[in-house]
Amino acid sequence: MRLLKLAAMTLAISLAATGSSLAQDKKTYKIGAAVYGLKGEFMQLWANALKEHPLVKNGTVKVTVFDGNYDALTQNNQFDTMVTQKYDGILFVPIDIQAGAAGVEKAAEAKIPVVGSNTRVNSDKLTSYVGSNDVIAGEMEAESVIKAIGGKGNVVILEGPIGQSAQIERRKGNQNVLAKYKDVKVLEMKTANWSRAEALSLMENWLTAHAGKINGIIGQNDEMALGAIEAVKAKGIDPKTIPTAGIDGVTDAVRAVKDGNMVSVLQDAAAQAQGGLDVLMRAIVGPNYKPQSDIWTKYSAQGLSWGDGTAKHYNIPWTPITKENADAMLAARK
Amino acid sequence: MNSTISSPAIQSRPQLAHLLRDYGIVIAFVVLCGVLSAVNENFLTWGNWVNILRQTSINGILAIGMTYVILTKGIDLSVGSILALSGLVTGSLVTGSEPHSAFVGILAGLLVGIALGAINGLIVARLSVAPFVVTLGMLSVARGMTFIYNDGMPIANLSKEFRFIGQGMVGGIPVPVIILAITFFIFWFILKYTTFGRYVYAVGGNERSAKTSGISTRWVVFAVYVISGLLSGLAGQILAARTTSALPQAGIAYELDAIAAVVIGGTSLSGGVGTLSGTLIGALIIGVINNGLDLMGVSSYYQQVIKGTIIVAAVLLDASRKKQS
Repeated sequence: MRLLKLAAMTLAISLAATGSSLAQDKKTYKIGAAVYGLKGEFMQLWANALKEHPLVKNGTVKVTVFDGNYDALTQNNQFDTMVTQKYDGILFVPIDIQAGAAGVEKAAEAKIPVVGSNTRVNSDKLTSYVGSNDVIAGEMEAESVIKAIGGKGNVVILEGPIGQSAQIERRKGNQNVLAKYKDVKVLEMKTANWSRAEALSLMENWLTAHAGKINGIIGQNDEMALGAIEAVKAKGIDPKTIPTAGIDGVTDAVRAVKDGNMVSVLQDAAAQAQGGLDVLMRAIVGPNYKPQSDIWTKYSAQGLSWGDGTAKHYNIPWTPITKENADAMLAARK
Repeated sequence: MNSTISSPAIQSRPQLAHLLRDYGIVIAFVVLCGVLSAVNENFLTWGNWVNILRQTSINGILAIGMTYVILTKGIDLSVGSILALSGLVTGSLVTGSEPHSAFVGILAGLLVGIALGAINGLIVARLSVAPFVVTLGMLSVARGMTFIYNDGMPIANLSKEFRFIGQGMVGGIPVPVIILAITFFIFWFILKYTTFGRYVYAVGGNERSAKTSGISTRWVVFAVYVISGLLSGLAGQILAARTTSALPQAGIAYELDAIAAVVIGGTSLSGGVGTLSGTLIGALIIGVINNGLDLMGVSSYYQQVIKGTIIVAAVLLDASRKKQS
């Protein structure tokens, strides 16, 4: 099956080159989604969910996803392209909180609305922002680890790439909670660059440096938490005895939660992508636009409200992953 | 060298130089380990060395293939991407409710490595395109194929049987370390004791005279890229088994650590000179630096600075060595 796919790749490439523009009688909207990079699972989930939005499925909206390749300049160039190609609107997931502002500025000059999603950008020209608050996630994961170790003991923190908005805010959340517990000591705090393989090596070394002293592990994302768990297992320690937390809810992490090896909170990529598109379409179409995604009803009980679709900020709540909801989450992805 | 002169006073100095020249990297390694064990009591423990060896295994295997390539005056930038694609292909076979046997999965992964290496080798040897360009292209193509293969998603739930090659232990020694040891021995033997091994040196030393002396240089060049591809595939198996899932973003920038290990180990980038034992020590030095600085809680930013400094220092050592001889 997959090998077949590999063989079909050449065909796909040549087809993509030819392109196809089907004539349609109703108005279609050209939307560009500039995302920081498609190498991680999270952004893949985001992009897939965007393509599942009702308006994209029925052909009203034509989405082009631009892979920023983790580079601010690449993203900037992609904004130039979208402006000259006269896109109707842009969904933006910036790699850099500061550098992203230049692209937003360019689009604003061309009167193209830009809605931010997932990661923040420092610009007042942004039409709106649909994302989740990373400080809260940092607090939730720290709280769960510290509670699990009984409010005292030693923890280590695996950090994201220093300087990225998610790392800065999740660290802030971690520290908000740590400040409340005087009996919890942070033995080590170092970046593993969101990477499972890096976290695996780092944790192996920490388990040697602090043999028997590490009581809990705070991973600022799931990938690193999963790497740490593998290191713990390799030492012959039962991962259930060292509470470990991650953030995001990637597929492997949901499985690990199901097995009781870690805790995590789901950052709803689907809600961020589809909610972002709804808010963007409201800005393009006008007050008559009604949101099409079901995320607005899904999270209404937790305080997410569409209002008239013109708020500057929409906060998608985090959902703790539990053994009970894990299966449903896994099923929704396949 | 003047070693035939019998006066001990004159002999001692060239001997010291000789020692430094041939074993400089070993001495550097021993000094490094000495310093680290002095400042951290955990460094010289068995458990820590198991870690270091396990962490070195992947880079060590890549660096063995890279040594062959660099000895022929080539370079292989595509090892990290081949590693990822090979791991993912294997992953797709050893996952699910009815996984294939680990043997089938690993075989498929290694074949992917061999095939991509063969493409590299064919273009370099047959069409005489610069290795840097060919493998730079492959770095991008193989990485792209890795993302296409499973839509950029990792493949999890790898079978227990397969994970053994990354997580298993035999007699207290991690399986990846055993694989590294076997790989090292096989390729060390080939390089040192076979005609093919001598040809590898000859092609890198002076391609034209190698050609005129009847060596099929094209065949040798082709073969070293196949070896590098095969070993990249092997490293991909271990990485996937170690992280319990095949990750499409695995191995990014691994070519740099592999090249660094080869260069620190004393292999000349201009080909023809170098040894696999040097490469192994080079890989261990990188592993020891990363491990030692983690143990001491030094920021990873410093690790990069220190690693870079050692690479340049090693090349300087290499250059001064050439001037002497």
